[in-house]
Formats: sequence, C-alpha cells, structure tokens
Amino acid sequence: MEQTTLFPTSTISQAESYERFVRWDFVLVQLVVIAVVAVYAKIGPKFVRESAAGPIGTGMLLAMLGLGLIWLLQLPFGLAELWWQRRHDVTEASYYEWVVGGWFGLGAEFLFVCLAILIVVGLAQVVGDWWWLPGGVAFVALATLFAFLFPYLIPGQEPLRRPALQASANSYEEQLGLEDIPINVQDVSGETSLPNAEAVGMGPTRRVILWSTVLRRPFTLDEQEVVVAHELGHHARRHIFKGVAWYALFAIPGAFLISRITRRRGGMRNPEAVPLGLLALVVLSTIALPLQNVITRHMEAEADWVALTLTQDPQDAEGLFKRFTFAAHADPSPPTWSYVLMETHPTGLQRIEMVRAWQAREQPSP
Amino acid sequence: MVFEPPPIELEPLEPPSPDPNRHPIRVVVTDDLDRSRLTVAFRLILSIPLWIWLFIWSIGAFFAAIVNWFLTLIKGRSPLSLHDFFAAYVRFSTHLHAYIFLAADPYPGFSGKPGYPVDVEVDPPAPQHRLKTFFRGILVIPAATLAGTLVGTPGGGGSSNSGYDDQSSSSWEYGITLASGFFALSVLAWFVCLVRARAPHGMRDLFAYGLRYAAQTWGYFFLLTDRYPNADPAEPVADLPEVPRPVRLNVEDDLRRSRLTVFFRGLLYLVHLFWLVLWGFAAVLALIVSWFATLATGRTPSALHRFLAAYVQYVVHVSAYASIVANPFPGFVGAPGTYPVEVEIDGPERQHRLKTLFRLFLAIPAFLISATLNWALFLVAIFGWFVGLFLGRMPLGLRNLGAYAIRYGAETNAYFFLLTDVYPYSGPWEFAAPRPAPPPPELEPEPEPAFT
Repeated sequence: MEQTTLFPTSTISQAESYERFVRWDFVLVQLVVIAVVAVYAKIGPKFVRESAAGPIGTGMLLAMLGLGLIWLLQLPFGLAELWWQRRHDVTEASYYEWVVGGWFGLGAEFLFVCLAILIVVGLAQVVGDWWWLPGGVAFVALATLFAFLFPYLIPGQEPLRRPALQASANSYEEQLGLEDIPINVQDVSGETSLPNAEAVGMGPTRRVILWSTVLRRPFTLDEQEVVVAHELGHHARRHIFKGVAWYALFAIPGAFLISRITRRRGGMRNPEAVPLGLLALVVLSTIALPLQNVITRHMEAEADWVALTLTQDPQDAEGLFKRFTFAAHADPSPPTWSYVLMETHPTGLQRIEMVRAWQAREQPSP
Repeated sequence: MVFEPPPIELEPLEPPSPDPNRHPIRVVVTDDLDRSRLTVAFRLILSIPLWIWLFIWSIGAFFAAIVNWFLTLIKGRSPLSLHDFFAAYVRFSTHLHAYIFLAADPYPGFSGKPGYPVDVEVDPPAPQHRLKTFFRGILVIPAATLAGTLVGTPGGGGSSNSGYDDQSSSSWEYGITLASGFFALSVLAWFVCLVRARAPHGMRDLFAYGLRYAAQTWGYFFLLTDRYPNADPAEPVADLPEVPRPVRLNVEDDLRRSRLTVFFRGLLYLVHLFWLVLWGFAAVLALIVSWFATLATGRTPSALHRFLAAYVQYVVHVSAYASIVANPFPGFVGAPGTYPVEVEIDGPERQHRLKTLFRLFLAIPAFLISATLNWALFLVAIFGWFVGLFLGRMPLGLRNLGAYAIRYGAETNAYFFLLTDVYPYSGPWEFAAPRPAPPPPELEPEPEPAFT
C-alpha cells in the first residue's frame, strides 16, 4: 500500500521531519554510550583506589560510576529530545521534572546494578569463570520476579470506571478464556499527551493499564475497545511469559560471552573487570537490539490480530492506528535502518495493511 | 678579696609572638561550670532586657556596617573606632548567647566589655583584601548558614529585613534563634543545671565551640577580619575532661576527593542506605537480646558486642562517605581498619545495671544533641559537595566538623546499643592536640653570692 493513500501528505512530511530528529538523536546517543563505556573500560579500573570495600563493593562502585557517566553524557541528548517533543506537543513534562525524574531513575538503576554485581561478582568468587551459568539463571529468575511485581511499581493507577468499556473487556476476557483481568487507568496528565496502554504482570498480578490519554477525546468507545482487546490479546497469547523466555535465550549466552570477554582482566571475580563487562554488555545489547525488535513487533502484530478477531471492527482499528500515528508524529513508513533498530511495534502502515488483510480474509466484500 | 662572678646574662623575656595561624577572633572560656539555680530558673525572663538592648544595638550596627563597608573598601582596613564598636557588639552578642545557652552563669554587662567567662578576643584591625570586602555579603552566606543552624544570628536571628514588615521580621528573627539547634539543647541543659547546679561539661564545650564559630562569622560579616570562620573543632575552647573515652575516632583522611564520586555521592550512598536499613533491623533485634543479657550478667555478651560494634562502625563509614568527610566507597561489613574515618570501640566492660535498665530513656538527650550535630553534618555534606566538586579536596575545618558530628553520633549509638555505659561527650575533643606542658616558672636571677 502507498502511505499517501492513507495519510495526508502534510501529516507524512510532518512525521518525517519529527522522526528525523528523533532518529539522529537516537543514533548519537548509541554512539556516545558506546564511546563512553569504551573509554570507561580503559580508565574505569583506576577508580578502584576510590574504594575501601571488598571486591563486590568495589565492583558495585565501578558499575555505578559507569552508569552515572552514561547518564551524564546522555543528558544533553535527552534534553534535546525533550525540547523537540515539547515543541511538537508530544510531551508536557518540564525540563526540571525530566532531569529530577531521570536522577531518581538513575538511583533505581544503581540499586539494580548493585544487585546484578552482587550476583555476578559474588558467584565469581565462588565458582570462578563458571559464574555465567548460575548467574544467567539468577537473572532470568529476577526478570520473572520483576515481571510479576511490575504492576505494583506503576504509580497513579485507578480501576476503570467506564461501564461500557468494562463490559466489552469482560466479554473479550470470556472469549479468550481469561480469568478476570483488572483494567486499570494510569493518570499521565501533565506528563504526556501520547496515547498508550500496556499489558503487565504474570499470573495473579496480570492487568491491563490504559493511559488516561486513551480515554479522552478524540478516541471513541469503539477505538478504546480495540485498545483493550489488543492488550488482552497479549495476555491471551502469554506474551509476558514468552518475553521472559526470550530474555533467558539472550541472557544466558550473553552472560557466557561476558565471562569470556572479561577473562583478560582476570574474570568477573576481579572488580577491575567490571568496566569491561559493562562495555561487553552495552555492545551485546546493541547487537541484539534488531532481534529483540523483531520479537516485540511479532508479538504486537499478534495482539493486533487478536484485537481484530475480538472486535470484528476493522474500521475502528484502522482509525485507531491512524490516530496513533498522528498523535505520536510517527513516520508510517520509516527508513529500513530505523525500522530495524528502533521500531518495537509494526509501523502505522503495516498495522493498517494487516487490518485490510484481516478484512479481506474474514469479511470479504460481496 | 672579693670574687665577683661574671654577671648572668638573662635573655630578655619576649612576649610570645602570635601564631600566624591563630584566628583573629577567638573565644576564651574561664567558666567553672557552676550554676546558680535561681538565675537558671528565670534565665529566659532575665535575658529580656539584654535582648532589647541587643535589638537596639543591632539597628545601630546595621547602619554602621554600611559605613564600615565603604570605609574598609576605600582604606583597605576597618577604622579603629568602628572596629572597636563591632568587636564590642560581637562580644556582647556572644555573652548574651552564652548566658541564654547556659554556657556561662553571670549576668552579662551591657557594654560588651571583656572579662565574661565565655569571652571573645578580637585582634586589632589589620589590612583586608578589597575583593573579599566587596563580596563579603555573599561570601558570608555558607558560614552564616552553619552559624545560624547552630546558634542563631547576633541580632537574635536573621540579619536581613527585606520583604517583611517590621513586626513579622523581628518575630522571624527571634524565631531563628529559638529554632537554632543550641536553643533546643539549652532546654536540656536547663533541666540539668536546675537539678545539679552545674552545667554538663560536654554541652558547655559544644556551646562554646558553636559560639566561637558564630563570633568568627559575625566578625567576618562586620569586617573585623577577612579570615574566614574556622569550623575546625581541633582547637578545644576549654579544658577537656579527664575521662577515658571507650569510643574514639580515628581520622586518616588525606582531604583529597574524587570529583566523579563526589558528583554521584548521593546516589552512590543509596545502596549503603538500603543495606543500613536492613542491618538496622537485625541490630535492633540483637539489641533486645543484648539488653536482657546485659541486665542479667552486667556485661554485653562478646558475640553481640562484636555484631553491634560492627554495625556502629558501618554507620560511621557510611555517614563519613555520605557527608564527604571521607573519600573511598566503604565496604558493607563495618570491618575495622578498612576506612579512613572510623571508630575504635573498647571491648565489653562491666556495665551499671540501672543504667542498662533505663538506657532507652537515658539515651534520649544524647540523640537530641546528635540530631543537632547531624544538622551541621548535613550542611557539611552540602558545602563539602560543592567544594569537593570544584577543588577536588575537602577543607580541613569542614572535614573535622563533620568528623566531630560523626564521632558524637557513634558515641551515642554505642551507648544506645549497650557497647558502653559511658555517656557520650558532646564537646569537641577528637582533634585536640595534647595540651602543651605548662611553661616553667620564670627564673629569677639568684642573689649574687658574695665571696669574701
């Protein structure tokens, strides 16, 4: 399909202009991060002298300093992106909120990385270079725990108070054979104007979270139903479990590679190897990014298909995807490299093509 | 024949040359700690005329300060008459605060004349750097913040009236002194003095230390000197008590700071805070067991003593790290001998059972004093962060003030966690150099022997 047949030319050019900046900002950030961790892998071991702790504590310090440096050097790019988003009314966050929020976010990252170092360096003290095996398993267990607990970490949730939408959700759950999944609303007013929703949790913590922006005009009830059906589709197809399983497939070999790479610095039992381990992690994550995007795009397409099947409403699904594209200034058909590296969801054009394909298959015109 | 030995040439006694490192504004304490219960009971009311006089004097000082600022800028030195005026003002304010805080007993005079038991010595006017004079109002802010937190300000509170009408301004100013840490502590001292007719030695020294810093700050602001106030508690303001301390602070820090770790210090501290809270739960459980055991046997069991001492040590390490009093990232087990700022805690000793029984209540005053010193420690962390980031080092005075607050906190914790039954000493003493031996008595020339 030609995007010009679906979107006005002005919208396409506006989206291309918006996304061009975002793309280059993303590329620069990736390059800066790799450059920073590469330099840090070289100079980081010097910071061992700033520690009076043992190997685990020193490893924590070096890992936190590495993350801190990354945060610091990403700051101007993040601010530039915020400026761009504010200019295009994509976000309502102030610079101050963004920096303070980022600072607290960094604190959470510090705690997480300390836990990771406790596992890695701690295990390396005991089992040497074989830490990657129990360590990989431990990380998968942690990822499972995190996925389980994540719904409790999202602030500002309230139960959905739209009887019509709730009734539709109940009906979809019944059709999908799901048991009473709560539909919550997260208040994001004052933070962003972007519409979004997510399926989170595992087992008893499963829930669907709709951003308050989705429940506002111009979204109609029919379009909101598509959103809810899409998120329930994620739960029906067990995408959270599959996501953790995919993570295991990346984490365990990744841990093995990191253990091999860091052997030149004495292995992860030696805290001086932590900066090199951080570099290996960043490079491997960047390499894995296209593959991870393939997986998430596939899951999103699957959830779209479930939503179409449940709602039987291709017109509103198409309208919703168009609205998402407009609201986010998303390029309906981005360049291939950007698609490969950055797109975690199918593009607007792909989603509409799927709607048309579903319609051709399920509701052929007489 | 008369033999006359060669005359003994006595070297003329020279007046001791002033130490170039000596601060031009000093506090001298000659107080004997005795207090009159009657004047202690009515201390606040008795001080009302002094406060009124200070208020009136402060108005004059405000205008005189403006004149003095211009003259010092022009001449590079404060005129003698104004210098003496401000020296008397600072002296009077110090006397008044010492009286209010129960750091001294006699009713102070209204003229700020020397001779009070907590007195201020001010050197004569000296040349002052014009740039420092020009920016004095800005430069004084960090010192004034610290002095205000501890003591208040000379006029009874804030020195600026802008933005407030007269009534609210004076109540605000008065409120600052009332809210100062020392005022809260003087309430504690009030009870002790009423009961014992004697001021606690440590608290008196703490007040004297704070008053010295405040006097130096006020003197700096009023251009008595261009030497910045010295927060270093290294020079004790009064005689130290001759009591062995079971908890001692060792500082082997070289003042160097890593800018990167200073920048992220608050976040790097988070992981320790997390661990501190977890360990704290275990420590409280251990304390409960230890309390029963110490009550029963009169001595803390060794294993519990070791565990709790490690916790107290860990708190010291983490506090020193968070407040930039020390540089390296501390370990997580409170191991002794691993950190540049740490405490030495004596092993288990016999403890008084009555003190053990009421330990929780007995520790409350110490915790209040510790809370006041922790405010100072917080300011040390803030100022130390900026200085450490820009200079890559920590000022000695600020570091030592922080260490003093940490030591008192450690003593309080050790007392609370039953590691000792010796009450924490709130005066600064850890950096005190050994007192110089008293000078030998002046040799008088012996009468010439007459040989006949």
